[in-house]
Amino acid sequence: MGMAVGPRSGAVSEMNVVPLIDILLVLIIIFMVITPTTPHGLDALVPQPSPPDAKQDPALLAKTIVVVVGANGKVLINQDETTWDQLGPRLEDIFKQRAEKVAFVKGDDNVDFAEVARAIDIMRANGIDKVGLITAKVEAGQ
Amino acid sequence: MIPMADIMLVLLIIFMVVTPMLQHGFTVDMAKVENPEEMQAADRDDAILIAVTRDGRYFLGTTQVSLDDITGKVKDLLSNRLDKTVFVKSDARAKYGTVVKAVDEVRSAGVDNLGLLTEKLETTRKAPPPPPGQ
Repeated sequence: MGMAVGPRSGAVSEMNVVPLIDILLVLIIIFMVITPTTPHGLDALVPQPSPPDAKQDPALLAKTIVVVVGANGKVLINQDETTWDQLGPRLEDIFKQRAEKVAFVKGDDNVDFAEVARAIDIMRANGIDKVGLITAKVEAGQ
Repeated sequence: MIPMADIMLVLLIIFMVVTPMLQHGFTVDMAKVENPEEMQAADRDDAILIAVTRDGRYFLGTTQVSLDDITGKVKDLLSNRLDKTVFVKSDARAKYGTVVKAVDEVRSAGVDNLGLLTEKLETTRKAPPPPPGQ
């Protein structure tokens, strides 16, 4: 390791690797940041309407839970008005004894999708495995 | 300053190459929820993605489609596959009515499993325990 003083004569024979290392490090960092962005989502089912001549089972109908997301931030379980904070515990209560963890979601046309997503999120967090979306055509039986 | 320029150029090129590959479907501002599941299938190249924008437009993948065309096109795409799942990528502030219309069209195509794509909300408070049996 001699110190060169004054103008050097001749070309530098070693390759300058520092910029190369810089670039590689940046590459590594970028790939580390990008890789973990796997898509997330909420699983939902869309029920196909039953044939029009099929008999409705009243017992099944009475057991059906529909979470309704209404306008102005209202939430209802079937006809029962509730609050966002109460929704989770109440659903948990209802589904504690049930084997079939199925519930439906219905939303007002004018609510934001985020509200409905929140409702589905709460339902899934409280043990409902199958969330069905009730659409206008399902209700009309088409 | 040459190494700096090198790095910046490389960064630029990488982002140019990677960005279109990362985004499947039309880019919307998705709803954020606390406990979504991972949906690896939505990342596949052949995943059927329907995006609903804030102003009520529909996109199948990256091409805009009209509401009436969704059923036919999804049916075509589904015809030769076993996994009949369609992913709905809706803007958080899209009206639910517009989303439901798209869902109805998808349902008419014979789909009964839907993935509502969301983003994971990172909260500091403890997330509720996962549902039993998972």
